[in-house]
Formats: sequence, C-alpha cells, structure tokens
Amino acid sequence: MDLFCGRCEGLYEVSRAAVVVTGVALRTAGPPDVASARPDPEAASLDVPLVARVDGLLEDVDFPDDRKGSLAAAVVHELLPGLPAGRRGLFLGTGLSSLTPDELRRDLYPSLRGGVFDREWLARDLEQGRPAPWRHQPERVTAVLAARLGAVRSETNFSACAAAAQSIAAGARAVARGDVDVALAGGHDSMLHPLGYLSFVVLGALSPSVGRPFDRRRDGFLIGEGAAVLQLEREDDARARGAPILARFLGAGSSVDAHNVTAPHPEGRGAALAMRRALHDARLEPGDVDYVNAHGTGTTVGDIAEAIAIHDVLGAVPTGSFKGAFGHCIAAAGAVEMAWCILGFGLGRTWGTVGCEEPDPALRCSVLLRPKNEPPRVVLSNSFGFGGQNCALLFGRP
Amino acid sequence: MREVVLVSHCCLAPVAPSNTVAGFDPVAAGLPRKSLKTMTRAVQLGVASVLTCVRATPGWAQVPPERRGLFVGGSPQQGDVDDLSAAIEAAGPVPDLRAFAERGEPLIPPLWLVKGLSNNVLGYASALLDLRGDNGNWCDGRLGGAVALCNAVHAVAEGRVDLAVAGGADALVGAEAIFGVPCAEGAAFFVLVPRGLVSGSVRQIRACLPRELAGMDEVGELGAAALPVALARAIAAGRGFEGGGLTVAGVTDS
Repeated sequence: MDLFCGRCEGLYEVSRAAVVVTGVALRTAGPPDVASARPDPEAASLDVPLVARVDGLLEDVDFPDDRKGSLAAAVVHELLPGLPAGRRGLFLGTGLSSLTPDELRRDLYPSLRGGVFDREWLARDLEQGRPAPWRHQPERVTAVLAARLGAVRSETNFSACAAAAQSIAAGARAVARGDVDVALAGGHDSMLHPLGYLSFVVLGALSPSVGRPFDRRRDGFLIGEGAAVLQLEREDDARARGAPILARFLGAGSSVDAHNVTAPHPEGRGAALAMRRALHDARLEPGDVDYVNAHGTGTTVGDIAEAIAIHDVLGAVPTGSFKGAFGHCIAAAGAVEMAWCILGFGLGRTWGTVGCEEPDPALRCSVLLRPKNEPPRVVLSNSFGFGGQNCALLFGRP
Repeated sequence: MREVVLVSHCCLAPVAPSNTVAGFDPVAAGLPRKSLKTMTRAVQLGVASVLTCVRATPGWAQVPPERRGLFVGGSPQQGDVDDLSAAIEAAGPVPDLRAFAERGEPLIPPLWLVKGLSNNVLGYASALLDLRGDNGNWCDGRLGGAVALCNAVHAVAEGRVDLAVAGGADALVGAEAIFGVPCAEGAAFFVLVPRGLVSGSVRQIRACLPRELAGMDEVGELGAAALPVALARAIAAGRGFEGGGLTVAGVTDS
C-alpha cells in the first residue's frame, strides 16, 4: 500500500446546503461595550484582582452544584421552546470541571492531603447517588441536555479555548450534511473557582489590573465565564417555516500549530492557516471580511502572534476583542463572542475593544477602539487554545 | 463526497486477563524522553499509537502538513497529585485558601498544569508529526472515540484533509469505584485517506451518527478507547466492523 501524493494538491471542493442562524442565546458578565469585571472574595485570596462573573444563574434546579452546567442549561432552555420539529443535535464545547469552594474544602482538599482521591470520598458520594467524579465529567452536561432536547446526535468538544468555535463548525456541517435538521451549537465554561484561578495564576497569564487587548500596556487577561448556543438550520427549512434569519454561516477553518502545547507559534502560523481555511471554506476573498473578532486575550505574546497572522491573511482589517469587557470565557469564548457579533448584525453595531486605549504600535493591527453604529457584512472570529488548536469562523449578515 | 478508506492502524491494548498494556515502553515507541514527565499514562499510550500508525503508512510524509488532520477521543487529564502535595502540606492541616495561596502556591511546579491539559495527545502528536490540518479533541466518555472517528471520516470525505489520524486513548485503571466495573487502559488510532490517493489493500470506512458501543471489552472498561480498540480487534481478526456509527468493510484492493 502506498499513497500517491501528487493528487493532494489543492482543496477538494464540496457543495453543501446553506446554513443560517435562527436563534441565539447567551450569558456573559455584561455587554461587549462595558467593562464588567469586579473583585471576587475567593479570587482575592489567590491574588486575582478582578473577575467577570455572570449574575443570577444558579436558579436552575437541575444543575444546582455545577456552575458550568447551569450556564449551559440557561442557554439551551432559552431556545428549547421554539425549536422546530425534526432531528436535533447538540454540539457543546467545554472545559475542565468547576469546583465550588465548598467542594474544594470538603472533598478535594482532604483527599489531596491523603495523597490520593480517597475511596471514602467516592463511597460517600456513591451512597448519595452522586459520584463526585462523574458530577465533574464534561460529557455529563451534554448528555443531560441532549436528552432534554431529544437529540439524535451530541458531541462534547474539549479543544481548550477553541472548543466552542469547533463545536459551532461541527454543528453547522452536521446540518448542511443532513445528519440533523436543527443544531444547537456553542459552548459553556467557568473557571471561577479556586482551582481554576490557581491554574492561571501558576501560568502567569492573568492581568494584575484590567484586560487590555492589543494595548501597549497589556499584561494578561481577566477570567470570565459564559455560555452561548446558536440555533442552526438549513436556509430552505428556515424560510419554509418563516423563521427569522439572524445570520448566515459562511465557513470555518481549523488548524494546529504543531509547535508547542502551551505557547503559540511566534509568527501565528496555525492562526493564519485557520483563517485561510475558513476563507476557502466560505469561498471568500480576504477583502470580503470587514471585521475580525480576534482571540485577543491581552497577553504579550498571544496578541503579537495573532496580529501577525491577521495582517498576513487579511491585511489592515478593523479588529476588536471582547476580552477587556467580559473577560476570557475560556472554552466558551468562541461561542459567546460569535453570538455577540451576530446580535450586532441586528443591533446595527460593530463592537470595539474595551480596555484598549493606546494600541501597541509594534502590532501591525487596525484595532477598532470604540463601537460603530454600522454592522459589518462579514465577521471572522478567531479562537485559539492550549495545545495549539485554532479555529476561525465566518458569519455574514442575513 | 470522496470515498474514505482505512489504510493502517496501531492498537495498544491489554491481553486478557491483564487490564494493562504489557511491556509498553514509551521511549521505544518514539516519545521524547524529556516530555514524558508532562504526559499522563493515557497520553503516552495515545501519542505512541498515533506515531506508530502514521509511520506505518508508506508515503504519509508526502502529504502536506496542512492536509494532515488529527481527531482524538479521550478523557480529562489530571496533573499529578504528588505535584500538589507539597503545597497542600505547606498550607497547613485546615483548608484555608489564603494560606494555600501564600505558602502553597509558590511550591506548585508549572508542569502540574501542563500535565493536566486534556488535549495533550493532540498537542504532542501534532508537533511530533507536523500534523497541522483539521482537528478536534472530544472528552465524551465512551462516545469520545466514536465521535473522533466519525468526524475524521467526514473531514476526509468532504475534502478538508487528505490524511486523517483518528482514534482514542484512555487509562481508567484505578477508577473502578467510579465506574463500578473492571477498568482497563488502551489506545487505538487509524490512518484514513481518500480512496483515490492510495494503491494496495485497504478497507472502506463510512460514518453516520456516532453512538456509544454496546458492551464492554473483555479486559474491562476502556472509556474513549472502547470503540477504537474494538475496531482494531475486528481488523486483527480479519473481520468487517459495524458499530458506534461506523461501518468498516473487509479488505479490498484499491
């Protein structure tokens, strides 16, 4: 057996059904044009000055002990009553489990002191019918919500900060392919718990002050949390039932840096490839994109690599980041940010970059500082994760 | 759509009655020695399986890196508890976050976090083999391997990649109290390409909706590796395979 690789050149063209967005549900700490971060007592003990927390979520009785589950349930339940009949799919990106301070103190801390996750802890939770490790398994939330939807297909994507964007791409492709008739696709995450804070403190990725994406004084990001799902359908089906069309899915591209598990490629090689693949998938030219929602975390090296990649692929296109407004929503970032961009189509807004006051002249990047009362026609949204995974999404005005 | 064929695979799975992969040597399998301390057992098995099946595919290096994809099913990984124990000891006998932050946190090695990254099979294997194309990592319990393989089939069929490496890895030994059944470890990965790109003996593979595989392997619960290992066992026995949303035919000449 051997491969004839002369036939690899060029991307294979596949025609597919047009996919549109007919519903959006999201939860973030605040809107994209206001800084929503504030102090948190638990975070302060770990020298984390500000976090961006979503208010009023834990009323969902089905996930009383799981903040991420509550976030996901809130957005899925919002769209559930209006979902059309047909084969449904649920595509969720998520991250590591949340641990409440009580769980840390009561369960994990004593277990760790013993050097192992002790069996008494497991036995106690099993007796209560709620095995703790299962409670924290990422697929649990997807499985519960998929059952409520009556979904014929579900996925739990765990591709770090690219997870939700990849889930949206997977959901759109499943709809286009005909695997499902309607998909809820997006993500949910919260690292607002002691081990979550600790992870980023150890990494040195958090800002000691406020998030300033692309600013000359940027020094890290704020931890946020959030959830969003897009309701995706084939355009023909949506028009046939008279559904409102909020946006068009145009294309998506994923790539891997293949460089380092914790640092981006210094010249944004993978980021650029994801954007090029998204353009090809959408059959668009670089000049067709009139706004980039950058991953834009506000870390020194991350913003440099992304700015290089954006300039290489798209030139001097207006670029913004939400992370100075409602923080970095980690695995949910790609979904909440795309959702706000789509809402911007209807509101007639192009969102700016809260926190950026003096764009870094070293970055070849056209940062949009303030919102504009004119929506873009085509938005490209970037999401990049540890492990080198990258995903770019392209959505357009209806 | 392109027809997709399975051209090579690597299965690292226990032989009953054992529930561990006997004689597994990550360095001999090609894993960099310096990276081992940041790889859990599941990640070591997964990366070794990816390396072996790709290197067993003649001509793979001629596929451009941007056209090589990697699709992984796994479970969330955890850093070593041992790496946290010094910090916890330093914080004192009563749980206190402030004490933990002030005295414990400086004692935590940064590698604790790196080892706990749940997409490490993808991160390490992509860097070692320069796999830069379409990709995904799913932590979906027993469904994970099926989701990874089905997505890989679609990626090749729809032309997003010309070579997809897909499968799953898990190491659940010691987690019997959680699952309530005997647990095991294993990994199996497969190389998928479009039929038009290959000559020789191949197997056609088709995907529909990913499903959990019914039943448990004779060595115990394999988690995200359950379906990939079952598929590899079927291939080793010279059979076709149907399950988990996949249909794999017997050997044909391309």
